Amino acid sequence: MNDISLQAFLLLGALLFVCGAVCMATKRNAIGILMGVELVLNGANVNFVAFSYYNPTFRVEGQIFALFVIVMAAAEAAIGLAIVLNFYNNHTSVDVDTAEELKG
Amino acid sequence: MWNIHEHPGLLYVIATLLPLASFVILLLIGALRNAARPYGGNGFGATLYWLFGGDQPVRIGAYVATGAIALSFILSATGLVWFLNDKGVGHHHDEVQTSGTETETKPAGHQHGHSHEADHKWADHVTWARVGMLETDVRPAVELNLGYYIDHLAAVMFTMVTFVAMLIHLFSAGYMSEELHQTVEDHQVHTEDGHLRRKGRYSRFFMYLSLFCFSMLNLIIADNLFQVFISWELVGVCSYLLIGFYYERQSASNAANKAFITNRVGDAGFILGLMLVWSFIGTFNFQEMFQRVRAPHMDSHGTAMPEGTADRIIRGDVHDEKGRQVFHPSSDGSQVLLFPDHVHAEELKEGPEPGTTIDDWGVMPYILLTIAGLGIFTGCVGKSAQFPLQVWLPDAMEGPTPVSALIHAATMVAAGVYLVGRVFPLFTPEALLVIAYVGAITLFVAATIAIVMNDIKKVLAYSTVSQLGYMMLGLGVGGWVAGLFHLFTHAFFKALLFLGSGSVIYGCHHEQDMRKMGGLLKKMPITGYTMLVGVLAIAGTPLFSGWYSKDAIIAQALGFASVNRQHLLLLILPLATAGITCFYMFRMWFLTFLGKPKDDHVHEHAHESPWLMTIPLILLAAFSFFVAWGAPPWDAEASFLGKLLHSSQPGAVSADFKSVEELLEEAGGWVHPTAGLLALLAAIMGALIAALVYYYRLFDPAETKEQFASLYRLFDRKWYFDEVYSAALVRPALVVSHWARNFDARVIDWIIDNTARTVVWISKLDGKIDNGIVDGLVNVTANAFYFIGTRLRRIQTGYIRNYVLFLVLAAIGIFALLSYFWGWASAQN
Amino acid sequence: MSFFTALFYIAAALTGLSAIMVVVTQNIVRAAAWLLFTLAGTAGVYFLLAADFIGAAQLIVYVGGTLVLVVFGVMLTAQGPFVNLRTSIGEWAFSLIVGCGLYATLAISVLTTTWPSLGNEPEVNPATSPTTAQLGQALLGVPQATPEANMTGIASADHERRRMGYLLPFEIVSVHLLVVLIGAAYLARAKRRRGAPA
Repeated sequence: MNDISLQAFLLLGALLFVCGAVCMATKRNAIGILMGVELVLNGANVNFVAFSYYNPTFRVEGQIFALFVIVMAAAEAAIGLAIVLNFYNNHTSVDVDTAEELKG
Repeated sequence: MWNIHEHPGLLYVIATLLPLASFVILLLIGALRNAARPYGGNGFGATLYWLFGGDQPVRIGAYVATGAIALSFILSATGLVWFLNDKGVGHHHDEVQTSGTETETKPAGHQHGHSHEADHKWADHVTWARVGMLETDVRPAVELNLGYYIDHLAAVMFTMVTFVAMLIHLFSAGYMSEELHQTVEDHQVHTEDGHLRRKGRYSRFFMYLSLFCFSMLNLIIADNLFQVFISWELVGVCSYLLIGFYYERQSASNAANKAFITNRVGDAGFILGLMLVWSFIGTFNFQEMFQRVRAPHMDSHGTAMPEGTADRIIRGDVHDEKGRQVFHPSSDGSQVLLFPDHVHAEELKEGPEPGTTIDDWGVMPYILLTIAGLGIFTGCVGKSAQFPLQVWLPDAMEGPTPVSALIHAATMVAAGVYLVGRVFPLFTPEALLVIAYVGAITLFVAATIAIVMNDIKKVLAYSTVSQLGYMMLGLGVGGWVAGLFHLFTHAFFKALLFLGSGSVIYGCHHEQDMRKMGGLLKKMPITGYTMLVGVLAIAGTPLFSGWYSKDAIIAQALGFASVNRQHLLLLILPLATAGITCFYMFRMWFLTFLGKPKDDHVHEHAHESPWLMTIPLILLAAFSFFVAWGAPPWDAEASFLGKLLHSSQPGAVSADFKSVEELLEEAGGWVHPTAGLLALLAAIMGALIAALVYYYRLFDPAETKEQFASLYRLFDRKWYFDEVYSAALVRPALVVSHWARNFDARVIDWIIDNTARTVVWISKLDGKIDNGIVDGLVNVTANAFYFIGTRLRRIQTGYIRNYVLFLVLAAIGIFALLSYFWGWASAQN
Repeated sequence: MSFFTALFYIAAALTGLSAIMVVVTQNIVRAAAWLLFTLAGTAGVYFLLAADFIGAAQLIVYVGGTLVLVVFGVMLTAQGPFVNLRTSIGEWAFSLIVGCGLYATLAISVLTTTWPSLGNEPEVNPATSPTTAQLGQALLGVPQATPEANMTGIASADHERRRMGYLLPFEIVSVHLLVVLIGAAYLARAKRRRGAPA
């Protein structure tokens, strides 16, 4: 039906994943970091769905997992935002560099 | 066991222990008194101290010590009477019994085996220490015993010693009265402010005296050689303490050291002898020792031993025959047969048969038996001041005069002669010959020195040495009785002479130089006349005690010399010395008591001594006169004391000197009269010369001195013994010690110093290593970690994004690693 | 190039470029906007992969829910326009290098791995075989809804093949979601700001 191979989707997922990681690594805004997390999760989802499409055995499982990840992402976003808000309440800023209590 | 009727020998034990008790009591009193000495204030301690006499020396020491020794004398006299009742006087060998000594009941001497039990009445011992295995017949344990053995010799000797010691105690009680003062001024010790002042030491003197007496008495009754040795050393210590009694005086201190060290030389020989006896004979008990060495009279079955073997030392050689040790007797064999407890005469029927096995018997090399005897004799040489160890005795005059009397008469020097008599059966003929020659040389050398001495005590000292030489000579030539007989008589007249000289010295306020005396007979008649008795006795005047004993010795020497012509010197020397003795004794007496007073100061102050001192003199004079009498007194051979001693003469004497004895006992023999005549002639000649020179003044002593200057110098320098010893022993010792000191200072100190320096250097180096390298290493490690830590902490930025990066990096790393190993694992498959 | 292929490239380009822009842009609101496109593109990719229900869920939950939440967060924490939250160039560079490294790693993994289903294209057509009902039955635990497979997920005739439902994971996820929501509400409820007047 199509001539797009599995690898193309996997590479797209990898790109999303890398973008998410770099986003987490470069953003000082707490919400930016959340966005990076969303990107990483989406990258993973692309992989799941691609596998479900290209491997009949995973037909249902891949999608179910993707579905779960979406749900988890939603929950994570809710919790993340709540944390960010708390963070903002405490630091009057969303600059994660102000939270350097872990500095050695 | 302690029943005195069954064991009358215990009398002697008690008598021996009494002076020891006195010593202990005085020691405790002294210690108590010192402990109670108050240091200010009064109270119980002060009262106690006052009771003890306060700072004032008290006479209690004299009472206790004299009381103890007097009681000892009474006990020993009782014991002597008891013993003579029990044993009688006479020969103890039935077969050689000669004269009318019917009281004899049992062989008293050194019989073998079965006669031993009967002697338990007068001999017993307790075990002190056991050495070796206890429960085996192979080699039973050897015991060190403490015991007593009373025979005629010990009984008489004991009584004599206690008697003389008692009189000397009495005399000392007077003589030492100066020591009763709270402060005594010693005129011979100079300090910065005049003479030395010290406390009186009255009781201490008697304390030492008591210990001295105990030691000597213990030596006499000892039944074994080891006990003798203990007493021997105790006697040495006491002599050291007493000679050095005025220890503040350098001369006294030196003399004490000299006496002690000289005795050590002798004691080294004694110990050698002890070791040889112990290792070969295996016992120290006198009787058992003699049993082992000398052949018995009869064997265990009562069969008589072969003719001519009794009491002999059996020589021979041991050969190995078919794996068995076989003894072949021969007159010049290198081994000596040691006899077991049970002897079977069959094995010795015709002498020890060739081929007799000696499984149960023992042998020891003949030369070692001789050396053992000579070793013991060396101890006696030291104690009895024989040539060549006679040098200490004249110096011992530094002690108080009663001490000199005690040493010379009864205790110390007598011990040597007594021991030679005791262990006589151990001596081989060769050893006895050495003893005889040593005695002969000693008596001559000492007598010649005595001629030129001016110190009254030194004259007596050398006369003692000379007389001891007579005793040794007598013992050496087989005159066992003669030698010991002279020991007894000499004890009395030498004690008398010394106490007399002490009286003179006391009367002349410690003036000892005879040249400053003279004409003292009128001032102190008792002393003078009693001393004359002593002089006559030592000179050998008939009927005086010295006559009997000295004649016996000279007769023995004559007999020996006529049997063994090559040893003529052993007759000539004592004969000549008899004259010399007479000369110097009369010289002393003339110079002291007759003639004109040479020093008015001394003469004016001279006075007779108090009765406490004269009574012992009178008593001793009496004894010196008649102690050797027999019935009738003019028969020199009928002396009761001589017969008494003869009763305990060991069988070995007759066995070894059979020919001499036969010659002497020949009916109507010529030896005794000849010897007596010769000795008397010599004595008269000596006395005459002395009278001519010092009484009638026919010759001027000074001129004579000039004419025989070299001889005079030889005698005056005491034959240069001290010089020879100094050159041969002291000087080399000093040189060696100097070398040793230099070696010590140069080499050993150098080594030690350098070792120390090296150690310091090494430790400094070590410190540097420690500080630099070890500490540095630790510091560098710490610094490195600190540095790494400070660098690493920068990674811990606290920024989440950096952590994310690290996560990513870690993921990459894991991937890389996984792929690498995956590839590697695939390659393996 | 088939229509499918073209659609894929369009969706992939939209998704990838938007994702890169999310990273690159400094304005958080713009980043949120670029994220919207990314998520939407991803939904398109899902549709292309015949996952109609997932794509729909992506649009509804992500684009409609999560993104709105994010935008709310941006607004709630909005600060002055001059607040500079840039990171340093060095960090950027380092992050980029690391990101490239990670991408290279992943790409190499993807391209060098032999995938089991490669060259065995499925027969599913998203237009004719919707997966919604199948997913619903699977989540409700109906065994017939899932393909036969052994537990490891790799088809093998040697092993017993089973059909499994997903009722239990579904319930767990539901409870999880509930707890998270309660927790989020608790965390996010209004508090007094530190240092601010009451």
